[in-house]
Amino acid sequence: MENKVKNKHVYWNPYFGGFMLGLLLIFTFYITGRGLGASGAFKSTVVTFVDDVAPTHASKNAYYEQFIINGKSPLNTWLVFETLGVLIGGFLSGALGGRLKLYIQHAPNITSKKRLFVALLGGLFFGFGAQLARGCTSGAALSGMAVLSTGGFVTMLAIFGSAYAFAYFFRKNWI
Amino acid sequence: MGPLIPNGIIPPEWDFVIALLIGIIFGYVLEASGFSSSRKLAGVFYGYDFVVLKVFFTAAVVAVIGIYYLDYLGFIDISKLYIHPTYLWAAIVGGIVMGLGFILGGFCPGTSLCAVAIGKIDAMAYGVGILIGVFIFSEFFSFIQPLFDGSNYGAITLVDTLGISPYWFIFLFSLVAIIAFVISDLVRKKVKKIFY
Amino acid sequence: MSKTYKYKKIIIRRRYRILAAILIILSGGLVLLPKYQKNVGIKPETFLLNLMSPERYISTDFLANSLISKDPSILLIDVRSAKEYSDFSLPNATNIPLSAILKPDNETYLDQDGYKVIFYSNDNFYADQAWLIAKRFGYNNIFVLKGGLNAWFNTILNPEMPKTSDSELEFQKYNTRKAAAMFFGIGAVNTLNSNAATPNIAPKKIILTKTKKKTTGGGC
Repeated sequence: MENKVKNKHVYWNPYFGGFMLGLLLIFTFYITGRGLGASGAFKSTVVTFVDDVAPTHASKNAYYEQFIINGKSPLNTWLVFETLGVLIGGFLSGALGGRLKLYIQHAPNITSKKRLFVALLGGLFFGFGAQLARGCTSGAALSGMAVLSTGGFVTMLAIFGSAYAFAYFFRKNWI
Repeated sequence: MGPLIPNGIIPPEWDFVIALLIGIIFGYVLEASGFSSSRKLAGVFYGYDFVVLKVFFTAAVVAVIGIYYLDYLGFIDISKLYIHPTYLWAAIVGGIVMGLGFILGGFCPGTSLCAVAIGKIDAMAYGVGILIGVFIFSEFFSFIQPLFDGSNYGAITLVDTLGISPYWFIFLFSLVAIIAFVISDLVRKKVKKIFY
Repeated sequence: MSKTYKYKKIIIRRRYRILAAILIILSGGLVLLPKYQKNVGIKPETFLLNLMSPERYISTDFLANSLISKDPSILLIDVRSAKEYSDFSLPNATNIPLSAILKPDNETYLDQDGYKVIFYSNDNFYADQAWLIAKRFGYNNIFVLKGGLNAWFNTILNPEMPKTSDSELEFQKYNTRKAAAMFFGIGAVNTLNSNAATPNIAPKKIILTKTKKKTTGGGC
């Protein structure tokens, strides 16, 4: 309880976390020549699911068929393995930090049900936008900035700019 | 001479194993920095917790400086790195939609995976939301395709767009980052304290 | 505030200042360090190895054979001057003078995997030099016509009649070459004028699509 009252930093110093993340990015680029990513795995999951349930519909749709290669499952990509790693790593860190707990985290001004609903809605928009911009904050923005790509910077500015613009309307959700 | 896998120094079968390892470290660092808490992530927009800004900027600056130093010393070949292509309007509109999603859900896909790993139920709802969002996108793809494929400038970097040498840009970028950190600390002192 | 607490606070602020100073020094160093031209291309040892092996030479017989059988993967490059090229050249040859070989437009002809590029000139001197430059960049699939156009005249268009004491193989080669000469439009007479543009092979330019740079996959 005392930790919560004082907002004591049980997390790493953010500069240290950023430094480690930067080192990881350099390492990733050095070994594989590509950056990190996260939303690609969600896309592969959807493609696999649709392909299993309704294959003809999937092959007719112009977007799915880019990812369906005969013989290999669409899940066989670099990003899916990296995503699995993220799950494992997050679990490891949470376990070591004593932060494993099954609950719904929400601000005091809203209910848990509303928080779940808003999270679902947020995910919907984010998934849509990530496909449109061909990346999310880790893939496009972070890895894009690491190689000074224009698209990465534009995407990042757009994300943070619009989030700031919308922040006022949703302040009850957070504060 | 990097990058190692495209140059064949490490056989490509190791690609997925390395992906797994990199993912583990990525997840660990994200979660340990506190990115698995949606209230911490959304703090940057309300001024009570700037961890997103600090981690993001620091990671970008360290990565850029590191890559360009490696390039100077001859250890890496920048032309072989994957540069995110620029589809201008798709990036802008996608970014706006993503911003809305970010402020609603308080997660981004990478951090939501960390949060799912430690058991947050709202992160699971967020993940399901992403899946639905991707599904909706692909169903309506034929309407969106002109925006999706249009205004492709290719894999251009800021050096081509702004016309300044990359080293000067990195220097200015680090200056801006430090100024941003100082400002964020000043703002944080003034804002009402939130406990989460 | 106790003295130790104030001391710690000053230390903490100084720590961040030190980190910020390190960052500025690093990025400033990147700006100020002298930029030198990095060595592009293959290592000297590999270069020497390729240089000394005779694998790059293509005989005129082989070339004649490929042209007659309309091998689509051959790309002939004439490295002489434009005037010499317009005077006489091999069918379907592109003209890239040796002085222009480093121009970026010509890179598409050299830096590709599809065609076998064959350099030729009057003798194989200039062609060899062109090959050296291209090999320095690490391009593969490049060859030199051994003997150049002089050998072409002497063996294909105007083959030497083998002596009666030569082997059967020599006679067969001679007949093949005679047939090749007829294919290339030279009659049975042993004369040829310099404007022997072959009438049955229309010289057309091979238009190469710009080879896309092989980039690694990626994305989110």
